[in-house]
Amino acid sequence: MTAPLVLAALLAWGTLVGLDLVSVAQAMIARPFVAGSVAGLLLGDPAAGLRVGVLLELFALDVLPVGAARYPDYGPATVAATAVAVGSPWELSLGLAGTVGLLVSVLGGWSLQRLRRLNAAAVQRHAAALAAGESAAIRRLQYGGIVRDALRSALLTALGLAAAWVADRWLLLDRRTAVALTLVVVGAALAAALGGALRSAGRSRRRRWLAAGLVLGIALAVAVLR
Amino acid sequence: MNGKAHALLRLFAVQGAWNYERMLGVGIGYAAEPLLEDLKAADPVRHSEAVVRSAEFFNCNPNLAGLALGATVRAEYDAAPGPQVARLRAALCSPLGALGDQLFWAGLLPALVGAALAAVVLGPAVWAIVGFLAVYNLIRVWTAAWALRTGLAAGMGVGAAIGGSWIPRAVPRVGLAAGLMVGLALPLVATWYLQPFGLVSAAGVGLIAGAGVVAGRLLGARMTGSRFALLAIAVTLLFRLVAR
Repeated sequence: MTAPLVLAALLAWGTLVGLDLVSVAQAMIARPFVAGSVAGLLLGDPAAGLRVGVLLELFALDVLPVGAARYPDYGPATVAATAVAVGSPWELSLGLAGTVGLLVSVLGGWSLQRLRRLNAAAVQRHAAALAAGESAAIRRLQYGGIVRDALRSALLTALGLAAAWVADRWLLLDRRTAVALTLVVVGAALAAALGGALRSAGRSRRRRWLAAGLVLGIALAVAVLR
Repeated sequence: MNGKAHALLRLFAVQGAWNYERMLGVGIGYAAEPLLEDLKAADPVRHSEAVVRSAEFFNCNPNLAGLALGATVRAEYDAAPGPQVARLRAALCSPLGALGDQLFWAGLLPALVGAALAAVVLGPAVWAIVGFLAVYNLIRVWTAAWALRTGLAAGMGVGAAIGGSWIPRAVPRVGLAAGLMVGLALPLVATWYLQPFGLVSAAGVGLIAGAGVVAGRLLGARMTGSRFALLAIAVTLLFRLVAR
């Protein structure tokens, strides 16, 4: 059972990374490998947080957040996924953690669309004040948007942590299923990152640099990690 | 003109009220407020009109929003006709969106994330994470300050200022670095995860990864990485349930 203080810290961290994705700062603390490492540190298992964070980071590399694109929110999702993974061998828990993380990230993406609609409705309510050039109306809209996003992020983190608790307590997978799930999630994550890299590279010179990087990475992996 | 530091700080929350109605418009209006303060005393009518224009529809990459903010505020101080300021604002959306997205979202960010992931696998993870955050934020804070300064100096001539700046030259180079670093990171991360499982499991993971890439290429945006993953997870759980 996670201590209330740790839960509060996770909630605060999930809120911060949720805000960081779009609304305030975009300092990249919302990147899954950052969010997961800190969440793991808060839970006393930074290595588990890092494993989960790097996994979801591979999915995040598939996302290009341009214009009004719809994309999952991996920050609070990584905090929730880390809560699933801590305290057990990552080879067994990563699959379930990744599954919870992916589901929460999809919910997060949907909540971002809702937030943007709520912000648009607020703009419509302030249309007369905006047309009159009232700076106070702009400030109200700006602060309102940030507060709404903070609430969205906090709620998403809380739901994610609740899902993590349910998964941890009720979804008891046998060893073979747990390992299979881990391998499937790792394979899908590598597919997401490679697919995103290929799409970004197109048919340009960048594809050759991607290929060169892959060759270099394989050589390094063989030389250093075998 | 006062308020540059305040405006720069506010630019880091330029997407705070992002919406489908005006997109970045409200955030730009919020960041413009301290810059337009001096206009209030000098020309209250112009100030009021400038505030209205500052919060109208606008969209671009948030890291380059300072160029549009600075240029339009300068144009307001230079007493450029209102419709001309509005046209400048509209004209900047596409180029600042395209350049900024290529520079940051498709270039710098994947390049640094790729480098950080490789460093996580090869060395102390904490330095990889701290280094990633430090380098990314140094570059983007410097870029935001440069963008605001350049926009304020150039005014209506901001298009030429952007064209002659370092940005168009940097975009392709950063893109190549992104390709290289993501390519470098993937085999390292794959090995990091698959080391304990043996060759047969690694081959299975390779097959899943290959299937995911092919599905993504064939089905395009309908088969995102997370959708493929959730589908593969569902199939695996179903298979395991039947096998038991």
